[in-house]
Amino acid sequence: MSGKNICIFGYGNHGKFIARGLREDGFNVTIIESDKNFYKEAKADAFEQIFLIDVTNDDELQKIELQNFEQFVCVMDDEHLNVFLTLSLRSLCKESYILAVSDSLNVTKKLKMSGADKVIDMYEVSANKIYNILDRPIATKLLEGFVVNSNGITFKEMTIPENSFLDGLQIADVDFSSYGILLVGMIDEEMGHSFVFVTAGIDHKLDHGDTIVCIGSKEKLDAFSEEIKKRESKI
Amino acid sequence: MKEILLSLALFLHHSKKYQQYKQLARGLLFDTNNIYKRYFDLTIIFLVVSSVAILIYEVKNPVPQWLDNYDIFFVSAVFAVEYLLRLWVHNDLSNMIIEEYNNAKFLQRDFNVYAVFKEGMYQKLKYMVTPSAIVDLLAILPAYRPLRILRVFILFRVFKLLRYTKSINQFVDVLVNKKFELLTLLFLLIFIMFTAGIAIYILEAGINPHINSLFDGIYWAIVTISTVGYGDISPVTVVGRSISILIIVSGIAMISFVTSIIVSAFSERLGELKEHRIIEQINKSKSFLIICGYGQMTKMFFRLNRKKIKNYVILDQDINRVEAAKKDGYMAIQDDASSHQTLSKFDAKYCDITILCLTASDVENVYITLNAKSISRKIKVIARVNDPSNISKFTYAGADHILTPNKVVNTMIHAAITQPTMYKAIHAILTGKSIANIDEIYVHNSHEIVGKKICDLDFQGSKLLFIGIQRDKDFIFNPPSSEEIKPYDVLLVMGRKISLEYFKSLHEGDIYVR
Repeated sequence: MSGKNICIFGYGNHGKFIARGLREDGFNVTIIESDKNFYKEAKADAFEQIFLIDVTNDDELQKIELQNFEQFVCVMDDEHLNVFLTLSLRSLCKESYILAVSDSLNVTKKLKMSGADKVIDMYEVSANKIYNILDRPIATKLLEGFVVNSNGITFKEMTIPENSFLDGLQIADVDFSSYGILLVGMIDEEMGHSFVFVTAGIDHKLDHGDTIVCIGSKEKLDAFSEEIKKRESKI
Repeated sequence: MKEILLSLALFLHHSKKYQQYKQLARGLLFDTNNIYKRYFDLTIIFLVVSSVAILIYEVKNPVPQWLDNYDIFFVSAVFAVEYLLRLWVHNDLSNMIIEEYNNAKFLQRDFNVYAVFKEGMYQKLKYMVTPSAIVDLLAILPAYRPLRILRVFILFRVFKLLRYTKSINQFVDVLVNKKFELLTLLFLLIFIMFTAGIAIYILEAGINPHINSLFDGIYWAIVTISTVGYGDISPVTVVGRSISILIIVSGIAMISFVTSIIVSAFSERLGELKEHRIIEQINKSKSFLIICGYGQMTKMFFRLNRKKIKNYVILDQDINRVEAAKKDGYMAIQDDASSHQTLSKFDAKYCDITILCLTASDVENVYITLNAKSISRKIKVIARVNDPSNISKFTYAGADHILTPNKVVNTMIHAAITQPTMYKAIHAILTGKSIANIDEIYVHNSHEIVGKKICDLDFQGSKLLFIGIQRDKDFIFNPPSSEEIKPYDVLLVMGRKISLEYFKSLHEGDIYVR
């Protein structure tokens, strides 16, 4: 998964953290800013590919060869710029995946209309979290841990390689908990490209190419993802 | 004598029973949060109404003896007891005596018990001449049979209702606020009435057959100035009629003046009265939310409408925002959540309060958090923190949950890029839309699954994924199947709603899924 080319517009409130996080995970991060101060900050943080351009100018945008990137992340601090940028990106490269952040109630819809593939609405996400805290405090703390990897228990998705011992087995036949992990769900390529929770109650057949999502502690998960590459399981 | 009084005071002061009873009486009479006060109030109201009903019935019909006895003895006795209780709890005599004794010992002066006694009695006497105390006393008087006229005093029992119905209390409260204006007008009215009454008496007594005394004159003045105008007495001379014209005109002016004062007093206080009602209403529910700030966050919170939130109130300092909230149909109060006074209006003792600090300012939020925690540690606080560097401050302030919108979004984006499948899964769980709910099962103390092993519980059969146990602040992920379930564990399971419900029904009544 690493090695992907990600282009982040904006090095403000959100951009900073996202860029740093992605760099740690081994992504190729390119930062584009129109604000001098943020540009300098990005420089100081030792990012290699940083451009200071006027993002409202299509010619300048095209100069940075947009087709090289798999994903665009629009996190400019100015919401107007974000919407405008999304529109320009969508018109310049029709295929790419655009992710945008909305800092305000009314911007989410505009971003979606301008063609963003995924819009994360800060208020919606936070409000959802409040409901979760009210309803199920423990589960929320745990889920939060999944995302930020803070208490050691996390999600991991892995693709079943060819010649894995899992290939051809039914879910019910595999005792995941003996590996110290739990299977949450999977994408069964035979059944279409959608994510199915294990709790849906259908017994799936595991094939190579399927993606499984497990939870557990990080070491156990890593160990398991090594394990499934083997033909025979040790356990 | 001194010694006897002192030892009596000491005895009462240290007697637990005595203090308990006094506390109980105080609670019944004054503490609106006391659960029994409601019943006590209702009883008194019933006594008053029944007593007046008997009085009315009695006018034309004979009343059975037992009903008469009930009215004379029982009702009056209850009222007498209530009167004495009020007198008793009005101040604490024994405490005063002990205090005086300690003071005297400290200053090495003579212990003057009589002065204190006098002071205490004086306080009680002062209470006795307050209007409400007089009404209470008059309500007991009808029990004295020989004075037939005292039966009319039963009507004073109606005035007792004033004390026991809140809305009338508020009405009186509003009027008391306008005391100065109303009194000024009243004096003016009395002045005009007397002058006009005396004038008509001087001018027409002897000429007008209806005016025979000063009382007739004043009676005529009142009837005329109030624009009632029975017409039983009317002036006959030109001068008398001129006076009528004058007092009719001033009467109309005066009455419209009084009306406008009362109306304006109400419209001034209307908002406050409504807010009072909202707070009272919400204090009756067992658990409720206080949401501070009506900004984008709060709007979004309500717009999502994931579950019906019935018991809540929005607090905001900005009147415009409060108006906006009211327009959107939410219960909102304009008040400063960071002031002690505001939050202490809510009943933290009997209710589970959760405060959401959602204002845009961190300073405000941390202040509200501290304020809430200083009122009661029991209040749960969920605080929004905008600047991540402030998180530690909120932890010190005691916030139970901290919400950092920026951080949440950043991690979401990060996850969406790095692990798209997992992101979908988590997002589905987080928004509660998915078939895979993560839910918490709270295990009671006396529950049938207590002591059972995890392998005994058929999670797979109910198509649930058992994730772990929360036990005393620790989370045990994927515990071994031989692990026993202890009381007060919280089991974390994932699955469809129906699976969860099915699991619940398997252990009917004993398990509690929120």
